[in-house]
Amino acid sequence: MTAPTLRARPTRAPAGDAVLTVDCLTKRYNGLTAVDAISFEVTTGETFGILGPNGAGKTTTLEMIEGLREPDGGRITLLGLDAVRKRSAVQDRIGVQLQSQALWPELTVEETLRTFAALFRHRAPLERLLARFSLDEKRRSLVKALSGGQKQRLSVAVALVNDPDIVFLDEPTTGLDPQARHDLWDLVQDIRDEGKTVILTTHYMEEAETLCDRVAIMDRGRIEALDTPRNLILDLDFDSTIECAFAAPVDGDRLLALPAVRRLVNNNGSDVLFTSDVSQTLSALTHVTDTRLLNLQVRTATLEDVFISMTGRKLRP
Amino acid sequence: MPMRGFVRMAISQATILRRNVTFWLVSIFIAALSMLVFGALFSPDQQPLRLAVVDEDGSPAAAELVTAFESVDSVELRLGVREPELSALHGGDREAVVVIPQGFEASIATGGSDLEVFYDNSNPTELAYATTTLKAVVDGYNQQVNPMRDPVRMRSEAVDTNSGRYIDFLTPGMVGMTIMFTNLAVGFMMVNWREQGILRRLGVTPLRPGAFIGSQAVSFAAVSIAQVVIILALGRLAFGVEVQGSVVWLALTAVLGVLCMLSIGYVIASFARTVTSFNVVQQLVAFPMLFLGGSYFPVDPSPALAPVVNAVPLTHLNDALREVINHGGGPADLWVSWLVLLTWAGGGFLVSLRLFRWQ
Repeated sequence: MTAPTLRARPTRAPAGDAVLTVDCLTKRYNGLTAVDAISFEVTTGETFGILGPNGAGKTTTLEMIEGLREPDGGRITLLGLDAVRKRSAVQDRIGVQLQSQALWPELTVEETLRTFAALFRHRAPLERLLARFSLDEKRRSLVKALSGGQKQRLSVAVALVNDPDIVFLDEPTTGLDPQARHDLWDLVQDIRDEGKTVILTTHYMEEAETLCDRVAIMDRGRIEALDTPRNLILDLDFDSTIECAFAAPVDGDRLLALPAVRRLVNNNGSDVLFTSDVSQTLSALTHVTDTRLLNLQVRTATLEDVFISMTGRKLRP
Repeated sequence: MPMRGFVRMAISQATILRRNVTFWLVSIFIAALSMLVFGALFSPDQQPLRLAVVDEDGSPAAAELVTAFESVDSVELRLGVREPELSALHGGDREAVVVIPQGFEASIATGGSDLEVFYDNSNPTELAYATTTLKAVVDGYNQQVNPMRDPVRMRSEAVDTNSGRYIDFLTPGMVGMTIMFTNLAVGFMMVNWREQGILRRLGVTPLRPGAFIGSQAVSFAAVSIAQVVIILALGRLAFGVEVQGSVVWLALTAVLGVLCMLSIGYVIASFARTVTSFNVVQQLVAFPMLFLGGSYFPVDPSPALAPVVNAVPLTHLNDALREVINHGGGPADLWVSWLVLLTWAGGGFLVSLRLFRWQ
């Protein structure tokens, strides 16, 4: 028995004005379609996430919206403007956070902020930025002398230097340790609380679940699903996963035949059962084979499971 | 994007260059080292004072004076006739010419005689040395003949000649070399920043490539001018190398050299993806340019090779710099070199703006 594949359900954005509308956006490289006619809307004040593995097209999508790349097809309407034709006007009003390495090592914190601020028509007050990101004391320090966490804060501060209404974060916590990751999540919450719209891409499921109002699941250039994290999980035909490792390989058909099992995926020698009734499956599991059970993990479904059930692959291999 | 952004970009980039001490100091160091080494090797004390004496009197008294000149160790004496010897002085083959006038012996007994002395004007250090040496001889002669009065006097005339010391040739060449190395390095900076993602960071702002490159050009020009001043100051203080021409034309020449070399740096950066490949191409471009361009040694190519030498922009930059610094030339002499540099700059910037990418 195989599990029915989840079809992508079009979802209307929550009530409110759309600050970003993407319509049939397409990008091709060397005959490969990196972004395949995707469409979605983001509402003002929303935190919107694009979740997918590396190579899904998330960064390319964001780059086209930010004006770094030209689309091969489709339209982007951002803050009421055509983002492709009115690139400069749009760039003047958005904030973009890139990796914290993308700063000049030879400038001071203050000089960095002033340099970027000078490129925009509207600037946030420097003192407020420094205070808010706890960079006051370091204002005259060279960027190369900053700690990793300070560089990260500066990187986000640079994204807010023109007090934008909408902020783009591209894989903001990749390469960061857990503490730094949580610090960044706090910063994002602050930005949200100010009423700004946040659009982020990530391949970390916890990040999407924690931060985002709605998540678009993207794979191979297409949006496979778009909804709130809760709805995405509820829409699944299972609510839990059981990961078990046996002393010797067990026949997959026997596992699939267990009660309430919807789907079976094999992961590096472990079998992962997607079940809609944990207790039923568990009690049957212990009797299904004589082979000794070495390891057992039970957890409720996450966005990663949504992804696996849609594509058969993990978010991070 | 507001004008304030352009100005701030230029200032910030100048700050970045200034704080990268190795960047701007190393070029000056190489120039200074070259000048000290070569300047010291060719110092006037080691070279003989080539003196031509034109004896128009032919008397025993005159012959005594000639002997007195000859007896000085550092003097290499030639006896000759007025016109050819003055010609030789003009051509840089003599340091001084002394003309003993007709009636010399007779005049000493009566009132005194004036020697005509012609000096090579091009080298203050050597000039000072020659003057002192000849005066010493004349004084000694005067003591012998008549200690109470000075019967023999010198009427000196400094003559502009075509000779130059090597250091006079070298210094503008060092200026040209430094302008080249400093401004080719803009390409390194671009490739490096592209690799780091810094350019990408700028690409999502309203900053346009033209304004960005323009602000870089301003900051690099500022640094280059500072370097030029330092090198010329060194030349002046240590070796008496004088800037004969106007500072205005010198500055204009330097700026055109900056723009030309910047554009070459940008073109290389358009094709290099990593800093390593940039460095490789930059070496392949810079070192042949350095030697074909005549920074260290005069390049006098055969007709077959002349087009190659003329194709090198540094050749024209060095020519223009030497014209202003050594010969005091103005726009009439410089416009050809300026045009070549401007054409290189224009072409290079056009190409690199077309190929420019933020990532």
